Amino acid sequence: MRARPAKARRAARRPVIPGFGLTLGYTMLYLSLIVLIPLSATFIRSLGGGWEHFWNVVTAPRVVASLRLSFGAALLAAAVNALFGLVIAWVLVRYRFPFKRLIDAMVDLPFALPTAVAGIALTALYAPNGWLGRALLPLGVRVAFTPLGVVVALIFIGLPFVVRTLQPVLEELDKEVEQAAATLGASEWQTFVRVILPALWPALLTGFALAFARAVGEYGSVIFIAGNMPMKSEIAPLLIITKLEQYDYSGATAIAVVMLMLSFALMLGINALQSWASTRHGAT
Amino acid sequence: MEVPAIAAAYEVPVSRSLRRRDPRQGTRWGRFVLIGVALAFLAAFVLLPLLVVFAQAFSKGIGVYLAALSEPSAWSAIKLTLTVAAIAVPMNLLFGVVSAWAITKFQFRGKSALVTLIDLPFAVSPVIAGLTYILLFGARGWFGPYLQAHDIRVVFAVPGIVLATIFVTFPFVARELIPVMQAQGKHDEETALSLGAGGWQVFWHVTLPNIRWGLLYGVLLCNARAMGEFGAVSVVSGHIRGLTNTMPLHVEILYNEYNYAAAFAVASLLAFLALLTLAGKSLLEWRQPELKHGTRRARADLEK
Amino acid sequence: MSITLRGVTKQFGEFAAVDDVNLDIPSGALLALLGPSGCGKTTLLRIIAGLETPESGQVLFDGRDATSWPIRDRKVGFVFQNYALFRHMTVFENIAFGLKVKARRERPPAAAIRRKVQSLLELVQLDWAGERYPAQLSGGQKQRVALARALAVDPEVLLLDEPFGALDAQVRHELRRWLRRLHTELHFTSIFVTHDQQEAIEVADTIVVLNRGRIEQTGIPGEVYDLPRSAYVHRFLGQVNELRVEWREGRAYLGPVDISSDPALQPGAGLVALIRPHEIDVVDESAGWRATVRDVRVIGPIVRLELGAEGRPPSEPLEAEISRERFDIGRFHVGQNVGVRFRRWQIYPADAVLVSDAAA
Repeated sequence: MRARPAKARRAARRPVIPGFGLTLGYTMLYLSLIVLIPLSATFIRSLGGGWEHFWNVVTAPRVVASLRLSFGAALLAAAVNALFGLVIAWVLVRYRFPFKRLIDAMVDLPFALPTAVAGIALTALYAPNGWLGRALLPLGVRVAFTPLGVVVALIFIGLPFVVRTLQPVLEELDKEVEQAAATLGASEWQTFVRVILPALWPALLTGFALAFARAVGEYGSVIFIAGNMPMKSEIAPLLIITKLEQYDYSGATAIAVVMLMLSFALMLGINALQSWASTRHGAT
Repeated sequence: MEVPAIAAAYEVPVSRSLRRRDPRQGTRWGRFVLIGVALAFLAAFVLLPLLVVFAQAFSKGIGVYLAALSEPSAWSAIKLTLTVAAIAVPMNLLFGVVSAWAITKFQFRGKSALVTLIDLPFAVSPVIAGLTYILLFGARGWFGPYLQAHDIRVVFAVPGIVLATIFVTFPFVARELIPVMQAQGKHDEETALSLGAGGWQVFWHVTLPNIRWGLLYGVLLCNARAMGEFGAVSVVSGHIRGLTNTMPLHVEILYNEYNYAAAFAVASLLAFLALLTLAGKSLLEWRQPELKHGTRRARADLEK
Repeated sequence: MSITLRGVTKQFGEFAAVDDVNLDIPSGALLALLGPSGCGKTTLLRIIAGLETPESGQVLFDGRDATSWPIRDRKVGFVFQNYALFRHMTVFENIAFGLKVKARRERPPAAAIRRKVQSLLELVQLDWAGERYPAQLSGGQKQRVALARALAVDPEVLLLDEPFGALDAQVRHELRRWLRRLHTELHFTSIFVTHDQQEAIEVADTIVVLNRGRIEQTGIPGEVYDLPRSAYVHRFLGQVNELRVEWREGRAYLGPVDISSDPALQPGAGLVALIRPHEIDVVDESAGWRATVRDVRVIGPIVRLELGAEGRPPSEPLEAEISRERFDIGRFHVGQNVGVRFRRWQIYPADAVLVSDAAA
């Protein structure tokens, strides 16, 4: 068979639907202006003072403490969300109880509520004279203005991510497989651990990663309840702002770059996780 | 197929006494515990914060509540929030539609990289988003001197706030449209083209009606986030009372002045907005169930 | 283990999927629950397994009331129509599952489990597939794994829900034969559900025909096929020709054929005769009911003739099946005039047929 002339081949590859150049061009333009250029400014600026300066800034005790708090609290909060989010998703998908639909809709509240509102509400709630703070005081637990408050705020923020990632997976679980396990003599717990949980792992990890990513950079819901004491309850974004106000641009950008690198790595990890999840065991 | 000697494989069972539990009792108990834990958790972490907002807002009576809202700086904060949303949301709507069209109707290399790029704002702390604009347009930014020379104010002024808001909220519409349009494929558009319709006509008469609900859904989420954005706007705005304060920033100012009732009053408006958003979201999900949780799985399909 | 069902009823809302079913299944039986979709056969099977709970009635295992026993205590092996294999486990782990989840004191040591799984794999001829995942297997292979998995826990009863429905004809044929051999060797009580009467006849020792939640007839395959007790069963178990019984001057006719001597005849309106295609003899034109050959289909060892009988509307031809030899002798061709004779028929009330028609 003779190869078609180059012109015909090119014509064959041209898309039928119009607007490719226009839409792709606009998309790239928008992205460049809004995202790429500003972000690259950050990276460039951070190295403005040289690598050694960058390193010094980033390893300063106060900076390290703030990064540790931001990432540590985010990790803990995401872990709590993973556990309770699983329980909540399970309950919403498998059981029937009054007001279930209303409660299901409420799970999205942390997603829809402005972070500042969440921040002052949580503070009011957990302050020593707040509804919950009052109850926890005799137990010796102080939430507001401590790192624990940061964790609580981050739990609030990250909850919908875990629940909403788990729900579709739970809904799609094959009932027959669970019944098969029962006919083979497995108890409910055994069925859960050996049959259901393995199917849930990818979604659980994804939800965890999403909650974590969201919590790491969180600002509005945290600064009211955090206490913001340097070295103790100061989150990294707040430190960035502090440095900005002092016109320490290189310092601010250095911290920003570290956070960005870690967040990007996280995002790549999430994407890899999702493609792994959809191809494991030669999925059917 | 032969049936080989199966002595080892199967032991003829001797009549055994079968355990007789009634685990239905256990199951019911377990069920209650799980539901209880879930509800308790949700009450503590979701319901109570919501209630506190309204409780505190009205704690000094409705008179104080209304006064807080009609105070001039509060009023200008409300206006600014609405203005910013009125600019940012349509722009992101346009971007969402255009980028979803580019991604779902065509094949090209680097598509998944593009989609990841669109998701970028979710990985960036809002404070960092604001920071980047300071770096570009602030007094010591790249364009700082140029802007000062021409007396254009970007940061510490409304344009900066709009930009920061756009950064944080532009993925929302795109993320909702991409799976919707991906699922619908190209058939309708190709059919319309073969019948002689032009590009714009195809979009207006064929695509748009199909993506109506996804579009509305994305706009709803985009708007909620745009009006509620705090971190990015906080960095960029300069907190100039009456001029560059959005509602969330105004809440912060009132709170830091220990004017709790007023702070929560303004916050209650935002909370009310959140509830409206949730109601709208539920309504749309009920109407088009694919919108629910659609995003994640469809993304995986895209990358194949 | 013997199974007895007494007065079992299961309702889904207004709809009675299983309606007052009584059935005795002796230990070691190989029984088919046969019927069209919606007749309740799968529901009945699931009730026996404990996957559904009846509204009323009892399920007895060896005489003991097991109606409220939970699934995991019934020790029944269940093979699902869609296999229900554990996707994230290898074939080996799937089969070993039932053994691994046993309570500590009952659990065999790891080496014993391995040996048992190995021998089961050999039994189902999948010893090469131990480390594969279900997604890498064909339908027939998955079904065999499901079977091996169910057998691993030494069930006293094996329940199969349309086990061969989703497979190719050839694979189906082989697996059917194989299931019979397995049953002969191992003697467990086995109940399977099918809508394919061919399958029921080929595999089962006893067939239970169900219609709309009720048992129409129970018997050995020959009995159910040759001596159906209702028009429904007659129709379901194979092709039939239907002819109205006409009364003329006090005598009963099928077309021009006088059948007044049939003892099953009852005076009064509304009787219908059901005749199987192979119960029709195609003879010389003068020796039977005049008919024209409208279509000839040679299907391997038999030949199907579509006949337009005189006096019958053209939309209701008679279908006859004759042997190749007979066909070759008669040299039948389209357009030929022949005679139709009935070797055998069965009479039923006409409304019984119609009612079953609506159900099927």
